[in-house]
Amino acid sequence: MKQTLKILKVAFQAINKNRTRSILTMLGIIIGVAAVIMTISAGEGATMQVQNQISGLGTNLLMIQTKSEHKAGINVRMGKPIYKKDFEILQKNAIYMPNLSPLLAIGAQAIGPDGYKSTMVYGVSYDYFYITSREIQFGSFFSDEDVKTAKKFCVIGQTIRKELFPGQDPIGKQIRIDKVPFTVVGLLKEEGSGGMGQDMDDIVLAPYTTIQNRIFGNRKRGYNMILASALSEDHIVDAKIEATELLRESHKIKANDEDDFEIMTQIELQEITSNITGILTLLLGAVASISLIVGGIGIMNIMLVSVTERTREIGTRLAIGARESDILTQFLIEAVVLSLAGGVLGVVLGVIGNQIIYKATNFYIPTAAYSILIGFGFATLIGIVFGYFPARKAAKLNPIDALRYE
Amino acid sequence: MPLKKVIETKKISRVFKNGDIEVHALTDIDLVIEEGEFVAIMGASGSGKSTFLNILGCLDQPTSGDYYLDAVHVNKLSKNQLADIRNQKIGFIFQSYNLLSRTTALENVELPLVYDRTGRFSNSKELAIKALGEVGLEDRIYHKTNELSGGQQQRVAIARALVNEPALILSDEATGNLDSKTSIEVADLFVRLNNEGKTILMITHEPEIAQFAKRMIYMRDGRILTDEIIKDRSTKESALKDLELTAEAIE
Repeated sequence: MKQTLKILKVAFQAINKNRTRSILTMLGIIIGVAAVIMTISAGEGATMQVQNQISGLGTNLLMIQTKSEHKAGINVRMGKPIYKKDFEILQKNAIYMPNLSPLLAIGAQAIGPDGYKSTMVYGVSYDYFYITSREIQFGSFFSDEDVKTAKKFCVIGQTIRKELFPGQDPIGKQIRIDKVPFTVVGLLKEEGSGGMGQDMDDIVLAPYTTIQNRIFGNRKRGYNMILASALSEDHIVDAKIEATELLRESHKIKANDEDDFEIMTQIELQEITSNITGILTLLLGAVASISLIVGGIGIMNIMLVSVTERTREIGTRLAIGARESDILTQFLIEAVVLSLAGGVLGVVLGVIGNQIIYKATNFYIPTAAYSILIGFGFATLIGIVFGYFPARKAAKLNPIDALRYE
Repeated sequence: MPLKKVIETKKISRVFKNGDIEVHALTDIDLVIEEGEFVAIMGASGSGKSTFLNILGCLDQPTSGDYYLDAVHVNKLSKNQLADIRNQKIGFIFQSYNLLSRTTALENVELPLVYDRTGRFSNSKELAIKALGEVGLEDRIYHKTNELSGGQQQRVAIARALVNEPALILSDEATGNLDSKTSIEVADLFVRLNNEGKTILMITHEPEIAQFAKRMIYMRDGRILTDEIIKDRSTKESALKDLELTAEAIE
């Protein structure tokens, strides 16, 4: 123990003697560790935001849609579309899904008196507002009665208001979608950007009946999906089973045949996106780790120079009784101290960097505790791995040759 | 009571193999050095004196023959044991001092104690200060080596060789880098240390330095050529006077 302390002191003296060089060597590790922390934290931040967005989609959400398959990059519908009949069966029989809304989506040009905007227009029922828990800032939602009678009402998001009604109150005004005039009855509260970067306020909501009759002009057209919310979080699975049974019956699917529709719950969606962002974080972290390895090579390089430079010193130490292991430990400790000190500074830099990004972009990055552990642990590991070779070289020097080294 | 043998070599040989060529650096050397001796080894370059010193200093091992250092049979020791022997029984002094740069005299002198595993030295700082006192550097303890003159640096190195209370002090051309006057002072320091009972073995090129010793060994071609007691040993005063006379003669 005492011996280790003495050798630790020797290592610190050596680092202190070559301060500039030591700091430059550490720089590689500092940047590497900071990069690892910042990328992992950014990944975590993105994951968090996506997760928040998904929980923001609604409470205990279920999405029921026709089974589709990716073929050559295109979503191809495989099963029967979801029809009005299916929706009515669900509405009539479902116990675990108190709120249900069809969803008809169409990309269209929304034209106002002072501007226009390409946007997504969704045909939904009144339940949609419960399911997605979106709130109204001004005006009101359209009612169940408005849906039944296919009123040409719509509720718009903040982005639409800015583009179509700059500086004006949009309530009661008209917008045209695909030549059909709609009266704006409500303005949604701002929601911000979605997990995948889409603008959640670039949206127009209208009664699905109106969209189907007026825009598509086809009452038989299937829905893009049915949105539902489960009774409670505990009933999400029940709701999924219930919906599956009801739809299989409605679609007349035989006992052994597969479903021709898909039901995705909010939890499943969260899992999928968390997988995706997890892979993304891993990739980013791996790229950042490369800079750590480069930093490690820097340490090895400097340690090799140091060993050559101090050959006489090593010879002297061996002559006056240092064992090989003493020399090995000394140089290994030097390398580890360098990388550890770099690691500490890197953590500080990483945390500060996260704060700067937050201040500059408003993108909240929580510094993940495990990213600090990874960065720090990796720095130590690199110190040992890349310090070992030079240290061994030093320890294996022949004292006679080392003493004569010029 | 016979004096303790600090060094005893029995038919020591050292052969270097370089491919097919064998170089006999040392051949059948028998030598006994007893406690309290002050021996100078002289010889031309290639006479084998450095190889001999390396073996005596446990930095190298003989190809054949036996070497006993302070009654320890060195031949069969492992690398670690050799390191420990060097640490406990030998004090090295080198031509180019080999001090740690930008480090204080004190820390340099403490260095052998850093590697002490016997635990026999409890207060290394006190011991180092004492050793520095013995070489007359009590007022230079906290000076860094680069702030010291050549002679002072060699004194620090001598203090470092003393601090572990070795059985044998080995000096390899200790005065080789010093001017004549400083060389004489260092040689005089050896005499003083020897008078205090230290056993000293030094290699030197300079006859006037060798003349300070009690016994002179002359080597040639890996063998001991002559081994005799020095009758008219130099002292600091006589050597300085000779130096003056030489200087006058040149003028």
